[in-house]
Amino acid sequence: MPKMLPTVLRNLLDGPATRMYPIKVRKPFQNARGHIVFDDDKCVLCGVCAMRCPADAISTDKESKTLSFEPARCIVCEVCVQGCPSDAITLMYHWRTPFYRKPLEVHEAKGKKPRTPV
Amino acid sequence: MATRTVVPFGPQHPVLPEPVQLRLTYEDEKVVEVTPVIGYGHRGIEKACELNEYAKNIYLCERVCGICSYQHSATVTEVMEKLWPLELTPRINYLRTIWSEMARTHSHLLWLGLLADAFGFESMFMQFWRIREKVLDLLERTTGHRVIQSVNIVGGVRRDIDEQQKKMIVDVLKDVRKESQSLINKLISDYTVKKRTVGVGVITKEQAMGLGCVGPTLRASGVSEDVRLTKYHAYGELQFEPIVEEAGDCYARAAVRARELFQAIDLQLEALSKLPEGEISVKVKGNPPANEAVMRTEAPRGELFYYAKGNGTRKLERMKIRTPTNANLPAVLVLLPGCQMADVPVNVLSIDPCISCTER
Repeated sequence: MPKMLPTVLRNLLDGPATRMYPIKVRKPFQNARGHIVFDDDKCVLCGVCAMRCPADAISTDKESKTLSFEPARCIVCEVCVQGCPSDAITLMYHWRTPFYRKPLEVHEAKGKKPRTPV
Repeated sequence: MATRTVVPFGPQHPVLPEPVQLRLTYEDEKVVEVTPVIGYGHRGIEKACELNEYAKNIYLCERVCGICSYQHSATVTEVMEKLWPLELTPRINYLRTIWSEMARTHSHLLWLGLLADAFGFESMFMQFWRIREKVLDLLERTTGHRVIQSVNIVGGVRRDIDEQQKKMIVDVLKDVRKESQSLINKLISDYTVKKRTVGVGVITKEQAMGLGCVGPTLRASGVSEDVRLTKYHAYGELQFEPIVEEAGDCYARAAVRARELFQAIDLQLEALSKLPEGEISVKVKGNPPANEAVMRTEAPRGELFYYAKGNGTRKLERMKIRTPTNANLPAVLVLLPGCQMADVPVNVLSIDPCISCTER
């Protein structure tokens, strides 16, 4: 019993080990993988992200020139971010807030394909 | 004559958050027979690996297990790299070693907490998990995710550890070591803990070898066997000796994991101090060639085995996964008969079962 005293005292004085979430929210780490954001102006609809996505969260439609993204399916593995040839996808270190319904983001690709040198 | 009663243990049980049912036949309060009922958590991952593109298998396979997910991703990556085979830089091997040992640290802390919980030591359970939180934070700071790290890619790793992070890791690990040392001293020397674990669920050396046990369960029975001795990753360049206990009871299995926790911290510190310069990924050309490969690694629970067969296309022809609990489960059937009803949770937990892993 006396051996446990320092631990008991420390626990008394240290305060709670947990935070009062959601009133107090810990700042996300700079290196964390929170969510991904698409830049419509840069996207050229090449389809590399859709092809590589292991969770099938991204799909492209060449006819309507749109890219659809399902955030609830995304596992934030960074494959699309590193694979995108036009740097249209950015990784943010903030987590998304929880949602009640699974959203679907539809992006219009406005980027222009670089001209291939003749 | 004593009455016989059959009591189902699981698949939903407060002590064992794993989907397995053990049909226990009791004679009064003594277990006389065990029948396991498995198959609740089968997800068909092996078949799904054959339908996926090879690079996507990493993200699928690291979801085989929620605790040793890093070892799964590292092993599946290495087995696919062996198909070419790819030449990795020393830095990649060292980074994989560091994260492997970090995963072992948090897995063993989790298990020690669960053990304390299994015999009703709630306060110690919470204190172990409080320390574990620091290791999970380390994983998030270095890889980006707490549990499913997604840091391995075919031909390397996705994140690097810079000088600033190195310093931070060393500081946190020293903290973790100090805090877990005092907790483990209490756990190991406590009268009630000894009363509940010493001499309970003994697996002899011969039984352990005969049943094909792996990992800490095998080492607690006095067999010096560790897959890290095969010198995969960077283990060949690190000071390392398997931790062995002779008794083979629950207490010995707890002691092996407690000592391995400190060994894992030492290995991380040594690997960090020796971390060589170099690229963190190498170029990969084409699809996996028609070839076969096998990779064995030491996950926190024991030997993890992967087999892959390529056929020159984007998809693998066959993928086989054998998890440590698959090898350790027969031991439960040997150590349960003869024990008291109250000792069943501690006995089952002592092999650190991960049933979802096993059924994959």
